[in-house]
Amino acid sequence: MPSHPKAALDFSPVGTEREVQTLSRPSLSYWQDAWLRLKANRRALVSLFLVIGLLLFTLVGPWLWQVNPASQDLDQVSQPPGVDRSALVVDPYTPWLGGATAGTGLRLAEPATTQSVRLAWDALPSARGHRVYRNLFPVGPELAYGIPRAEFFDNSTLTFEDRLDIKPGTYYYTIVALNADGSLSRETSALTVDVQRVTTVAEARERGLVANEAALVPGDRVELALHPLGTDYLGRDMLARLMAGARVSLFIGIGAPLCFVLFGVFFGSVAGFIGGKTDQVMMRFADFVVALPFLLFMILFKIAFGIGPGESGVMPMLVALVLLMWPATARLVRGQILQIREQGYISASQLLGAKTHYLILRHMLPNTLGVVLVTLTFAIPSAIFTEAFLSFIGMGVAPPTPSWGSMSNEGIKTMLTTPHELIFPAALISTTVLAFNLLGDGLRDALDARMRNRE
Amino acid sequence: MTQATGDLLTVENLNVEFDTHGGIVQAVRGVDFSVAAGETLAIVGESGCGKSVTVQSMMGLIPMPPGRITQGSARLRGQEILGQSRIDGREIRGAQIGMIFQDPMTALNPTMTIGDQIAEPLQVHKGMSRAEAAREAIRLLEVTRIPEAATRAKQYPFEFSGGMLQRAMIAMAIACKPEILIADEPTTALDVTIQAQILDLLQDLQRETGMAIVLITHDLGVVARMADSVAVMYAGKVVERGSVDDIFYRSAHPYTLGLKAAMPSNDPTLKQSLQPIEGSPPDLFSPPPGCGYAPRCPHAMKVCQQQQPPEASLSSAETNRPHGSHCWLHEADSPFKPAELHFIENDSAVEQGAAS
Amino acid sequence: MWSFILKRLAQGVITVWFIATATFFAMHNVPGDPLLNDRAMTAAIRANVEAKYGLDKPVAEQYVIYLGNLIRGDFGISFTQENREVNDIIREHFPVSATLGILAVLFAAAGGVLWGALTALYRNRMPDYVIMFFVILGISVPSFVIAAVSQLMLVGVNSALGVTLLPVAGWGTLSHMLLPAMVLGLGTMAYLTRLMRSSMLEVISSDYVRTAKAKGLPAARIFTKHQLRNAILPVITVLGPSIAAITTGGFVVELVFAIPGLGRYFVQAVQQLDYTVIMGTTVFYGAFLVFMVIVVDVLYGLIDPRVRMQ
Repeated sequence: MPSHPKAALDFSPVGTEREVQTLSRPSLSYWQDAWLRLKANRRALVSLFLVIGLLLFTLVGPWLWQVNPASQDLDQVSQPPGVDRSALVVDPYTPWLGGATAGTGLRLAEPATTQSVRLAWDALPSARGHRVYRNLFPVGPELAYGIPRAEFFDNSTLTFEDRLDIKPGTYYYTIVALNADGSLSRETSALTVDVQRVTTVAEARERGLVANEAALVPGDRVELALHPLGTDYLGRDMLARLMAGARVSLFIGIGAPLCFVLFGVFFGSVAGFIGGKTDQVMMRFADFVVALPFLLFMILFKIAFGIGPGESGVMPMLVALVLLMWPATARLVRGQILQIREQGYISASQLLGAKTHYLILRHMLPNTLGVVLVTLTFAIPSAIFTEAFLSFIGMGVAPPTPSWGSMSNEGIKTMLTTPHELIFPAALISTTVLAFNLLGDGLRDALDARMRNRE
Repeated sequence: MTQATGDLLTVENLNVEFDTHGGIVQAVRGVDFSVAAGETLAIVGESGCGKSVTVQSMMGLIPMPPGRITQGSARLRGQEILGQSRIDGREIRGAQIGMIFQDPMTALNPTMTIGDQIAEPLQVHKGMSRAEAAREAIRLLEVTRIPEAATRAKQYPFEFSGGMLQRAMIAMAIACKPEILIADEPTTALDVTIQAQILDLLQDLQRETGMAIVLITHDLGVVARMADSVAVMYAGKVVERGSVDDIFYRSAHPYTLGLKAAMPSNDPTLKQSLQPIEGSPPDLFSPPPGCGYAPRCPHAMKVCQQQQPPEASLSSAETNRPHGSHCWLHEADSPFKPAELHFIENDSAVEQGAAS
Repeated sequence: MWSFILKRLAQGVITVWFIATATFFAMHNVPGDPLLNDRAMTAAIRANVEAKYGLDKPVAEQYVIYLGNLIRGDFGISFTQENREVNDIIREHFPVSATLGILAVLFAAAGGVLWGALTALYRNRMPDYVIMFFVILGISVPSFVIAAVSQLMLVGVNSALGVTLLPVAGWGTLSHMLLPAMVLGLGTMAYLTRLMRSSMLEVISSDYVRTAKAKGLPAARIFTKHQLRNAILPVITVLGPSIAAITTGGFVVELVFAIPGLGRYFVQAVQQLDYTVIMGTTVFYGAFLVFMVIVVDVLYGLIDPRVRMQ
């Protein structure tokens, strides 16, 4: 038996005025509770900020970075970000007359610039002529010399000036000796050439590269236009294009879902509320629309609206998306309405005298809002993907209108040499899609206990 | 208080807690009870008192990451079963202890036929072949009084009514002839007439097979009808236990009294309003240091709010259904003894109890 | 069971009719004369086609002729490839797309169920985190990027190993099919994994699994007969529309991996405005998808008895 010091126990009765019920936590409204849950979900919060950031990027960005996405900076084509963009100012180009140069073997007559690369060489031992090749990559064992630049069928010419599309960077020149019959022999001589960017005073003035134009003299250094994210294959600023593309992608990506969700809510609530035969017919129609092969009909609609491939079709794409995607929302909303109709609080409300429109506005719609909001948040990445996909195969927006999908399409073509042209639009698509997906998850956890994912 | 020897199942000082987002919930705070072979123990209490958690943790059905057994033991025929799946070379669950649950509509696999589900434990524990087990399943359905058993065995749960599903569950639980059947509120989800049939069935089965039954319920009527011994639970503890007569005629705890008083009477001459127990059970996130019932108890004393009462033994003689109550009112120094409560007849018995 | 199948087939026929009608009216809304196209016609074909399709007749009559042709399985003659029947085009190239699509679906379904079940069983432990990371990649990176990048990686692996582990493009043997099928199925597999995970989590904490444990059944049996069987139901529900998404998303994979499938032909036809091929392919694809959805529904009915007894 436990041994209590009995003297220490207080057996005096407690009075009857006691606080029997104490509320431990304050009551919250539905939306307050949802907001608290959402805030507690770290992933959803991060996605929310990402989404807000993206919207700012799209709407406010062009004000902060006022570069025309269509203007071409031909001096900086396909430049990755962070590349050195300084240029030396020099005198305008004057033709080279060849002539003797110091040194032996394959060499540069003078420092290579984007104006010209001037090579000189000594005749190779068994050569009856020479061919000059230029390559972007070092020549490996497979002897891929690159593009032929010039050919000389005797040894009288031992100089060459290359002016073809010279970009700043490194080129690999190779001289191959020719045999008597003009075929290539095995004798070669190679040279690695680093080309420096130069510009003239006139050009600098033309492009507005300097503030104080009068003081510009050869020998100065100027900075070419800044492109924080680099340029694409036509010299257009990537950042500006991404912002413009964001507008297109998000316009379709958010606009279309808003429209078809709205229509779906209307259609579904009417069907669910009226019920009976009308409901059956409406839902059968929705089933048919669902059965249409989606991508095929997107393309069909584009053609039907009279837009051929190669023309930009933002509005038709939006309309097509809306026409094809509303059934899922409609079915969802209808299901919700059917469920809600049977609930006790609807009958109770009716017994208290509520009119139909009050029931719909005050009871039914707010209870479907959660589902609708979640559907919307998941429909957006789906629409963005679809737009990107269609633009990628050339069935969506077409050049020059930028969209992230068409930019990815262009970027894939030069994926190996200039990966940044693919990485930036693809990364933006991925981030946007991911953010909306995670946000949708978070909203679903916050708003609807039944749909809650048991993470 | 000692346990009577020969008890089939003995649970001692069982403590179970859960990790939740809001903190640690102490769902079961030291529960003792025992069941003898062939008899029915009823565990009674309101929703949330921990009765389901007690038996489910004993059976190992509580997921152990959020849940935890912090203390205590449960012994079947003297052997510890907490954390074990087999004793005496046999599986405990299904073969030695069977269990049926509250809501038969969700407690059965919707994609398997009833016959298959009943045959499963037979195949696993008794090594029967598919054909043998199927035949036995049909026989069990007949035993539990389901008409057209052979047809029914090929049907799916959604084709059964609630009462029939519960019978099927009983058939499933007794298939391997367990020594104990635990019934966790088996009739709560059913209407009253079906309830009576199910309870009758359980009693008949008990008479035929000699199995013990642990019956969890919140309905005192069911207790009166079925139980041999009773354990009354409140806020995670057993507050009173004893034979069914002790509990009903010699109630020794204010909570038991409150439960009895709250039962509606079918006496047409009485004209009084129902007497509920005011208030609600304590928050088990931070259980009170004293007796959990103190806030609602009309006889509460200061000590009740400060310390948990020990169990006072109220049996006058050695019995296999000892009567005990966790209440400070039984301590000799308490100033009053409410008339409606039962206390030990003579002080000498108290001294004897105090010294042992 | 049979009445269930017959009902679905009947519904399917009506749906295909609806698709054909929608296609017909969509194409007939193209402004201008579909035949007024430099690339397409010589005088001979023009006369041929006009006679066959009665393009000078009123729309209603054209529609009836169109339906009649469809029922006989005649999709017409290609506009741009003289005297080549659309049926032939479909017969040659559809099996390729179908094989690719079915492989991709199998890959997605098997992977989705497996990874989903694993993440649910090992919830909040290492396997869960690793798998969910890849799932997130799978649902956010666009399919064309995955296709191009994986092709590139394969080139790298091939040259690093010195042997052609898997061919990088083209079609023909099983090894040609592996990488494209995996790439095509990846997005859907990620989606199915998430679905399976949440379904499995629900099932694991369900009442009937608790009953199964109370019966003392071994863990393996609980996993297959009680958990997996019930958790897989939502995945199968979604499988029908997923098949649709995969087969129509096959265009890109066919383009990138140079696979001679119907999708590639469809894109070409669209670019060349070859109307009969476009219409024929659309209706054919539509019918195929309706059929696949019916197959999936029947499969679902086999597993969940509640559905087939309506």
